[in-house]
Amino acid sequence: MSEPRNDARTGAADEDAEGLPVYAEDGTDLTVIRWMLALSAEERLRWLQSHMQAVAALTRDQADA
Amino acid sequence: MIKPTPDFLQILRVLVRHDVEFVIVGGVAAVLQGVPVTTADLDIVHRRSEANVARLLAALEDLAAHSRLDSRGLRPGATHLLSAGHQLLTTNAGLLDLLGELVGQFRYEDLIEGAEAIQVENEAVHVLSLEKLIAIKTKLGRAKDLAVLPLIRHTLEEKRRRG
Repeated sequence: MSEPRNDARTGAADEDAEGLPVYAEDGTDLTVIRWMLALSAEERLRWLQSHMQAVAALTRDQADA
Repeated sequence: MIKPTPDFLQILRVLVRHDVEFVIVGGVAAVLQGVPVTTADLDIVHRRSEANVARLLAALEDLAAHSRLDSRGLRPGATHLLSAGHQLLTTNAGLLDLLGELVGQFRYEDLIEGAEAIQVENEAVHVLSLEKLIAIKTKLGRAKDLAVLPLIRHTLEEKRRRG
């Protein structure tokens, strides 16, 4: 396994295990996009729903505190 | 009372069960195609034919849909759904926005052409393509639309790279 190259400014890795860039020029994390694309459409929708549930739970906790 | 967590799958199940003709637009269209964004509502553009509006009304009945702009809990009628206007609804499975037209210009018939058919629970649902989503969000030019453009563009590039 080769040593990952790191961005001089952020210290983050430049490339993933396949040698693909981790970040786009505008700072977008491309690994999140690749992870999302590996899911089925149904899994993506469930991811969205679980995210919204987590936000709602945090909001409830905040209100109860 | 607005349900705090959406169940978009349930809304889609009900719409499909009633054979409603619609195209998913907005954030859920982006998510279904792999864009990592979040949204609290499901936006659809429906065919504004009398037969489809009748099917849509039956689906809305199952979802206990009512206006979220009116405290009296008014339910949309056929005349509302036949118009080009937007119906912002609360349902028993989350927020659902019915758009007669998108950006005051695109009807169902304009959007279904080139829409992506995506399988969800073994049923095909039509979603606005990422290319069209980029064009529309660019045209709208609002801060919230422009903010997600880089994510949509990079997702499209990644999909093309994968072939």
